[in-house]
Amino acid sequence: MHILFLSCLKASELIEKKFHFGLTFSEKIQLKMHKMMCDACTQYEKQSVVLEKGIVAMQKNNASQADIEGLKKLITEKLSHNEK
Amino acid sequence: MLQANTINLTEMVETYTSELYSWALHKVSDSELAKDLVQDTFLAAAEKIENFKGESSPKTWLYSILNHKIIDIYRKKINQPVNLENQSFSKFFDEDGSWKLENRPRDWHEEEGHLLDDNEFQVVLRKCFDALPEKWSTCVKLKYLSEKNGEEICQELDIATTNFWQIVHRAKLQLRDCVEKNWFRN
Repeated sequence: MHILFLSCLKASELIEKKFHFGLTFSEKIQLKMHKMMCDACTQYEKQSVVLEKGIVAMQKNNASQADIEGLKKLITEKLSHNEK
Repeated sequence: MLQANTINLTEMVETYTSELYSWALHKVSDSELAKDLVQDTFLAAAEKIENFKGESSPKTWLYSILNHKIIDIYRKKINQPVNLENQSFSKFFDEDGSWKLENRPRDWHEEEGHLLDDNEFQVVLRKCFDALPEKWSTCVKLKYLSEKNGEEICQELDIATTNFWQIVHRAKLQLRDCVEKNWFRN
């Protein structure tokens, strides 16, 4: 790979690495250079942020109302059963 | 003493079942599994109650038991080596690693942040997320467990750090493509 020029595949991988781990100094420079020339990867980065937020929101909505009282009863029964 | 502990635990069931369940469901997206996890948490708590000396709050203690159980679930799911076959890249990139024309990310015009408030967008996102291979979606969800960063999660799962973000990368490529095709081009 060229020292300065990343492929889009590698650039998009670095974008994920950046979000999840952080980049080294030279990776930062490489990515910056690439994004200056590449609109698609610039869009990829923006979209990746939207998707992250969307996943968080999606998982929050998951907490549907379940039968909590039934669950409490079940657990209490199991606990007293184990005591004996 | 035993009597007192039993009473305590019963009180804990009453007080914390609901929020522990919501947390577990949020993490595993499966209501039956979430119920089992909460139940197992209290059973484990009953066994370990002598060790609980009140140094932390009951809530913190129960959450730490539950979180260990959730991580075990994830660990089992990711236990087999994750298949990073190149096929998934050739769908999006040419051989030289540049975006294929039909898969190039377009501008979503998301400057105002309206997208995430849109229910239909959420539906599309959920469909696309559910269509991901289980291991990939597990890895993406994993990131939100206990607000830990990627490195810590990888240590807990004993997978190489490179592996983790590469999996997330593939999951994102697929998710992004699916959302763009189903939302922006219809």
